[in-house]
Amino acid sequence: MGTSLFCHLSPFATLFQNFWECQREQSIFATVFHKVSSFLLGFLFFAGSQLAIAQTCDLVLRGKILHLENDDAIEAAYVWILETRTGAVSDQNGNFVIRELCPGTYTVTVQYLGHKEIRQTVNLSGNSTAQTFRMEEESLDLGSVEVHGHREAVQTTTAITSLYGDEMLQSRGESLGESLKRVAGVTTFSTGNTISKPVIHGMHSNRIMILNNGIRLEGQQWGAEHAPEIDPFLADEITVIKGAETVRFGPEAMGGVILVNPPALPTNKASQTDIHLLGATNGGMGNLSASYLGGSGKIKGLGYRVQGSIKRAGNVKSPDYYQANTGMSEYNLSGSAGYSSEKLGIEAYYSYFNTEIGILKDAHTGNLSDLIDIIENGRPFTDAEFSYAIENPKQKVSHHLAKLKSHYHLNPNWKLNFQYGFQLNNRQEFDKRRGELNTKPSLDLELFTNTVDFFLDHNLKQNWSGSFGLNIIQQANSNVPGTGVTPLIPNYDLFNGGIYAMEKYLKGPLELEAGLRYDFRTVDAARYVDEELQQSNLEYKNFSAFVGGLYQLSPYFAFTSNIGTAWRPPNVNELFSQGLHHGAAAVEIGDPTMVSEKSIKWVNGLEYESDRAVVELTAYANRISNYIYLNPTGETYVSLRGTFNVYEYLQADAFFYGFDLSGSYNFTDRASAYLKGSIIRAKNTDEDSYFPFIPSDRMDWGVSYSLGKKGNLDSDKITISNVLVASQKREPDFDLAPAPPGYALFNIGYLKKIQLAKNQFNIGLQVNNLFNTEYKEYMNRFRYFTADMGRNILLKLNYQF
Amino acid sequence: MKNFQKFPIYLFATLAMGFASCESEDPVPENDGELITDVTLTLQELDESGSPVGTPFSATASDPEGIEVGATPTIETVTVKKGKTYRMDITVTNSIAGEDITAEILEEADEHQFFFLGGAFSSNILTIAYDDPSGELLGLRTELGVSSSPGTNNTQMQVILRHALNKSYPGATNPNFQDYAQAGGETDLDITFPVVIEN
Repeated sequence: MGTSLFCHLSPFATLFQNFWECQREQSIFATVFHKVSSFLLGFLFFAGSQLAIAQTCDLVLRGKILHLENDDAIEAAYVWILETRTGAVSDQNGNFVIRELCPGTYTVTVQYLGHKEIRQTVNLSGNSTAQTFRMEEESLDLGSVEVHGHREAVQTTTAITSLYGDEMLQSRGESLGESLKRVAGVTTFSTGNTISKPVIHGMHSNRIMILNNGIRLEGQQWGAEHAPEIDPFLADEITVIKGAETVRFGPEAMGGVILVNPPALPTNKASQTDIHLLGATNGGMGNLSASYLGGSGKIKGLGYRVQGSIKRAGNVKSPDYYQANTGMSEYNLSGSAGYSSEKLGIEAYYSYFNTEIGILKDAHTGNLSDLIDIIENGRPFTDAEFSYAIENPKQKVSHHLAKLKSHYHLNPNWKLNFQYGFQLNNRQEFDKRRGELNTKPSLDLELFTNTVDFFLDHNLKQNWSGSFGLNIIQQANSNVPGTGVTPLIPNYDLFNGGIYAMEKYLKGPLELEAGLRYDFRTVDAARYVDEELQQSNLEYKNFSAFVGGLYQLSPYFAFTSNIGTAWRPPNVNELFSQGLHHGAAAVEIGDPTMVSEKSIKWVNGLEYESDRAVVELTAYANRISNYIYLNPTGETYVSLRGTFNVYEYLQADAFFYGFDLSGSYNFTDRASAYLKGSIIRAKNTDEDSYFPFIPSDRMDWGVSYSLGKKGNLDSDKITISNVLVASQKREPDFDLAPAPPGYALFNIGYLKKIQLAKNQFNIGLQVNNLFNTEYKEYMNRFRYFTADMGRNILLKLNYQF
Repeated sequence: MKNFQKFPIYLFATLAMGFASCESEDPVPENDGELITDVTLTLQELDESGSPVGTPFSATASDPEGIEVGATPTIETVTVKKGKTYRMDITVTNSIAGEDITAEILEEADEHQFFFLGGAFSSNILTIAYDDPSGELLGLRTELGVSSSPGTNNTQMQVILRHALNKSYPGATNPNFQDYAQAGGETDLDITFPVVIEN
């Protein structure tokens, strides 16, 4: 009913309907890209005219931003020239550069969180001017300081996007994977509506890396239904790096890296509480999070933070029915304490994640004929009712992460860093079973991981900076006995040692960087199959390297290019799987002779930024040799339980390429629009076929209108957005069901920020899938069994004091 | 600052603890508890008053390796006589772990149900009715009737065991319910026995 309703709503909707249904996917995207390209051309033209004016203006304002009390450099302070509306962010040495200024007198403001704003008049004439600003600290009070500047968590020449501020506020209550859909080029690979994994440029699981406050998250990431064990509430910023960053972060960072970072600890007397309370109609979801950030007044440099969140939801509702057993509960904790003095910095961090997730009852099929029956039916056979109960099949996952980090400034140019991380991941999966077995998990894994990082940073004569380091990962995976099921993956010990060096050269508008890394990995695995002990000892070693550059073409345009190699040793499940994968009614067979995947990824980015418009275009190509994938053999196994499809892990050469586009434009002070889109192509070049579960073409666009009072326009803002997803026409030769048709969703959001003395109160109201459209997402593994989530109305309250 | 001088000791202690916990356990063989290796149909001929006649006989389907990669199951033929009525009992066992799964099915009678399909029923060669002593429609015991004019000497009987289904789904009271999948749940057993009809 959803679609028919919206098609009668207005001529616009009807037009849209025609546009969507009558034209083929090709033409839709042709139209979209025609529009996009004219949009871009417009920008180029606009920028060109700006350049023409700027031709005679080639003065540069350089400077340094320091702490008043100790002359330490301030990183990420924001320098802004009011008249020209241009600005810069200070780098790790406190340096900033603003280029292409005309001679004249300017008002410069310098802002940095927790410090008094500096407003100074600077006279530019003849030569370029250098100016040092010293900032005085004030008690941390987020309510009264509006943070304009933003600096990425990592300095890299690869395409990088962060979620923070208002966007982060809007994403509250969603899982990590769902939140990251806001970044162009990032989609999700999901199992129902409660388990979602981020996908960067078509890659997920062990081909991307997630860092929880600087520690690589080590869970059972190999499984398609294993979501990252991380609470998005612990972060005030989430950054996505879309390049191959193996050198910096270690093996497996082939498709990209996600950094989940909590806010920096205060170094002065401070007190800040942040409470979020959220509710959603679909699934009756309730979510509460609280955090407290404090700085000691007695011991200077001592700061701490505690944070916790709880979440509970019941059965998800598709437009026409409830999805049985899709509730979830989650509780998380994190805390950190840090001390920093002039030379030494120490930080301890701990986070705990615990979740229990119900798996759609109908997705658990007994054999192939069951699977075919439900796929034909297209929806669950039974009509469920709303319930918060979580029954089998379900997952219970807990994850502890502890980290100790310290740095020591040997001298102004060299900094020594040490970081140790400990992780314990426990994953239990329960199936619907008979008798006592129903209370026992059928998969029970315990994974210990130790990581040690030791690295030396340097900054030499402004132009050269870099890092040399050593990285050790040690891992032990054990199956907890007593499951009554032959384990899917063996017990194993893994050791990975890596050494790396990276160097960056910075001169004027040019930034160049390169790095090299060598890794050595051993895996010792053992298990019983039919009372017979099987053991294997495997060894992998590899070099990886990258080279990249950034060039500031003009004050408005920046171009980045980065080419990097990456490698990923085969995972234990790809090597050793041998048995029935229940939910998929499939027998999966691994291959212990597989070799490492090796890739080379080239990412190019073009950024345009003016006071009215921001456009980011990213184009990439990723060539992978020995790409590992699960291939249907076409054979079946027959047993007393019935028939099953047989899949085997194979290797082939792959080629991934695509584009991401994101842009926004402010028509007036109040009205603005944004657009994000991505296109991914992934081919098996050996077989000249397509890989399964590659995101289809999609875009998300919307318009916003600010209703706030003058001087604070954005305090009251309404946004209407539309998500367009095409059908995946590039399907693999075999799939259980054809790719679902494309779909269009409408969302509406309202955000109001209220300033109460020094406190801040934010109210958000969102309606997702406004017209309750029934759709199936190709990247959702449960598309075989059910439609996706229907309309959802969310109320989000946030109080900061 | 004294505490900071001890810092390396704490650090070392933490590291030592961390690494000590980081050895994987030795693997332990698992008995596949849910595995079904043998399904036996025991048939006892009944006279018109429902009393047993003659000696019972059985047909077994067995798959000694269970679901693992390996041999396909061996299924014995069920041989019945024209126009006779039989009491059929089904026993389900896991011979690897030595478990009697029949008892578990009986215990969870509200979550299990056998369905009987195939040519034997669609061509009206055989008729079947639930006859469980508990009165629950389960199918561990059934009454099987053979047509007096089957028109053929061989047919097939598909035995399906469903788990976690909605037993009150319309139509699910019929042991020959074709659309059993619509009642929800999943298949635990799906075996097709060849049937030979003797005169």
